[in-house]
Amino acid sequence: MADDRTAAYAAALFEVAQGEQDLARVEDELFTVANRVRTNDALRDALTDQSLPVDLRQGIVEDLLGGRASPTTTNLVSMIVGAGRAKDLPAIIEGFLERSAGSRSETLAEVTSAVPLDGDQQQRLAEALSKRVGHKVSLKVTVDPSIQGGLIAQVGDTVIDGSVRSRLEQLKTQLQESR
Amino acid sequence: MLNLFILAAEAAPGAAEPNTSHNPIIPELGELVYSLIAFAVLIILFKKFGFNAVQKAMAARTERIRKDLDQAESAKGEAEGILSEYKTQLADAKAESNRIIDEARQQAEKVKADVLESTNKEVADLKAKATQDIETARTAALASLQTSVASIAIELAEKVVEKNLDRDTNTRLIDSFIAKVGS
Repeated sequence: MADDRTAAYAAALFEVAQGEQDLARVEDELFTVANRVRTNDALRDALTDQSLPVDLRQGIVEDLLGGRASPTTTNLVSMIVGAGRAKDLPAIIEGFLERSAGSRSETLAEVTSAVPLDGDQQQRLAEALSKRVGHKVSLKVTVDPSIQGGLIAQVGDTVIDGSVRSRLEQLKTQLQESR
Repeated sequence: MLNLFILAAEAAPGAAEPNTSHNPIIPELGELVYSLIAFAVLIILFKKFGFNAVQKAMAARTERIRKDLDQAESAKGEAEGILSEYKTQLADAKAESNRIIDEARQQAEKVKADVLESTNKEVADLKAKATQDIETARTAALASLQTSVASIAIELAEKVVEKNLDRDTNTRLIDSFIAKVGS
């Protein structure tokens, strides 16, 4: 039931956003919002706190995105929070991104990097991932210094982890298991 | 008996007259004849009336003695039988007592062996458990040590990586990742 509702909200978001001229910008902004909500506990708690008035929670969204993101992005996020679905915001946005990529015959590829990727790197990475999965991908990059270096790419259920953090974890596991 | 006849002859009236040629020991002929006749009569009477009775009494006595002897013989045989039975019972009792003693000894030996075996097993179990405990503790200590060493090594590695992972190195890592994914 929750998945159905999430998919319904994702479809609603896509219906609203696809009418916009700069869909790519909305996608990037929503992807950024989803990452912030997923990684920032204080923000997530504030947006999902049912004891706070809806106006106040939507005001937080306005304060964070107003003037920085496009009005479409701000309105879509405010609509989700106003509907009391803030805790599902990352999943709804992911569904929206998959649906949006699917409309272009692409597959969503979520990439995590320790440092920002330049245009050339993103293009080469998208081509490599497209070659790997067999069809074109829509790249969404998250910068997360905690992976220390390298990249993590997720396309559908496939995760390719080339981060320094995972290598150190593997090394730690091997050291602990070696007798 | 002869003396009685002599005294009777002496007391007779004809004997009152003193006779210097009379021998006090050897009777006179007449007296002797009378005495012999009287004796013969006495023998005949005895043979006729008393001998059978005496013979019968003797036979009865003989028979009684024979019965007594038979009874004695029987009693002796019975006594010997009882004695033999007692001896048998005594031998059986001795054998039974020996068997009981042997059984008790064997049981005691078995109990001793069981206790010894149980004790040995208990000691072996305790030893095995102690060995196992030591091995477990050693393994746990080793695992803890390895975990600590691994953690320290990883912390050091992270610091080294953090210090040396500059932008160029990260770019090479990213390029390597792209090349690997696309290959």
